[in-house]
Amino acid sequence: MRIHVPKEWELPESSVTPESAYAARDRRSFLKTAGLGLGGAVLLGRRASAATTGLPPVDNPDFLAGALKVTPYDLATSYNNFYEFGTDKSDPKEYANDGWEPEPGWSVEIGGLVANPGKWDVEDLVKKMGGVEQRVYRHRCVEAWSMVIPWDGFPLARLVAFAQPRRESRFLKFTSFLDPKHATGQQQGNLDYPYIEGLVLPEALNSLAFIATGIYGKPLPNQNGAPLRLVTPWKYGFKGIKSIVKIEFTPDMPVNTWRKMAGDEYGFFANVNPNVDHPRWSQASEKVIGGGGFFGLRQPTLIFNGYEKQVASLYQGMDLRKFY
Amino acid sequence: MSWLERLLRSKVFVVSLIVLPGLWPAWPILRGDLTVLADPGKYLLHHFGFVACILLATVLSFSPLRVLWPRWAVAQALNRHRRLVGVSAFVYAAIHLGFQFLHENGWPTFWKDIRKPFLLVGMLTFLILLVLAVTSLKVAIRWLGGRRWKNLHRLAYLAAALAAYHQAAARKLFPVQVVWIFGPLLALEIARLARQRWSAAKPAPRAGA
Repeated sequence: MRIHVPKEWELPESSVTPESAYAARDRRSFLKTAGLGLGGAVLLGRRASAATTGLPPVDNPDFLAGALKVTPYDLATSYNNFYEFGTDKSDPKEYANDGWEPEPGWSVEIGGLVANPGKWDVEDLVKKMGGVEQRVYRHRCVEAWSMVIPWDGFPLARLVAFAQPRRESRFLKFTSFLDPKHATGQQQGNLDYPYIEGLVLPEALNSLAFIATGIYGKPLPNQNGAPLRLVTPWKYGFKGIKSIVKIEFTPDMPVNTWRKMAGDEYGFFANVNPNVDHPRWSQASEKVIGGGGFFGLRQPTLIFNGYEKQVASLYQGMDLRKFY
Repeated sequence: MSWLERLLRSKVFVVSLIVLPGLWPAWPILRGDLTVLADPGKYLLHHFGFVACILLATVLSFSPLRVLWPRWAVAQALNRHRRLVGVSAFVYAAIHLGFQFLHENGWPTFWKDIRKPFLLVGMLTFLILLVLAVTSLKVAIRWLGGRRWKNLHRLAYLAAALAAYHQAAARKLFPVQVVWIFGPLLALEIARLARQRWSAAKPAPRAGA
């Protein structure tokens, strides 16, 4: 039996915005229907529920949905790549919720070339990061499909500052969990586990780099990488390592799992780039998940997934064809 | 005549077996399976390609079954349906290609992607199946003559090999289904070749002789 132990910073279910109101994404009409008037502003801030360290999660005004059409929650939590639980899109939802319990008691180790190494309970760590904000990001999978996800979490830069990297540290190496007993994909050995990902330190310090502890104002579902995962919206989805247990600061470039698996197809940087194809398919456009209609919507893929302004300077002078 | 043989000889039964997988997608779509509804077009695309592969592997296994077990009634029954199953493989492949066109939302992306080896190979497979389907008509057999027709239709084996590659390359990791779809066919073909080599060296006595 699954017993849900509410975290001290979790809000009761009753305070969660109904999905329909959330999906409307129209603040004003939402407030009107809620009949909240001025008092609504207070409630608005508390809209998101979990992974919030007791502080109300705040919408980051720089990353509101705006013109982006947020993917329905049901689709974002039913169409997943999390090979630890199988390679079919439906596998993670089914098998990550079948005996695998990432919480409570999940701890994250921060180590390597840092002045402040240690192992923290995920809840304590989130608290130390000083609260949770919500950002709506585009999400582009290397398989040429995309979503728009409201993530709740904190900037990775805050965690880097907390760890206090030494001068020799140039990379971050992220390691995911290893639990073949519960993770069917790890049993099959479909990839080399545990899953590894990495970033160059300046990438981790970029304001877009984010650690998510929730989506749509709810705790991260298991299939989306509970209890915390990396989000780098200008990179292909596989860089967004799920269910992180260890973050190390290293002098050398870590070998990320997909690169190890097929280095000619998946690189270290994995920046979204419509001009650099996957050897087996084009990256010039993408299928919008939940884009409507049977054959849906296909839209052109943007360089750095539309975040060129924020990240292009990181790769100045770099041959993006070579460093894919 | 065993019940299985009688069943397998029935055209209605075989046609039903072939049509049912085409109707299958209605089930998850009507049930509202979210993983399917996230991108129904891609689901249909993969499903019809998958069925085409199964039918292609199935029809090619009929003749080695007959060579290996010439007196097995089931093998004889199955071989009555070679054209039907073969043409069905083509029909499923054609629908699969049509769905690919729709999935790509039209010419520009379709044209761009078709240059990728894995999609090019898929296209080539389809073209082979198209030629074989067209020449499966009695008129074509008469026009080509038995030997030429037979040689032409050996291209089906090439199509199977290409389809196996195409299917394997469609996913990020090697999909195990390729093994269970094409593995048995490969085993049967190896067994048939071994058997033919063996009987060429030492002609087997004819039944009843």
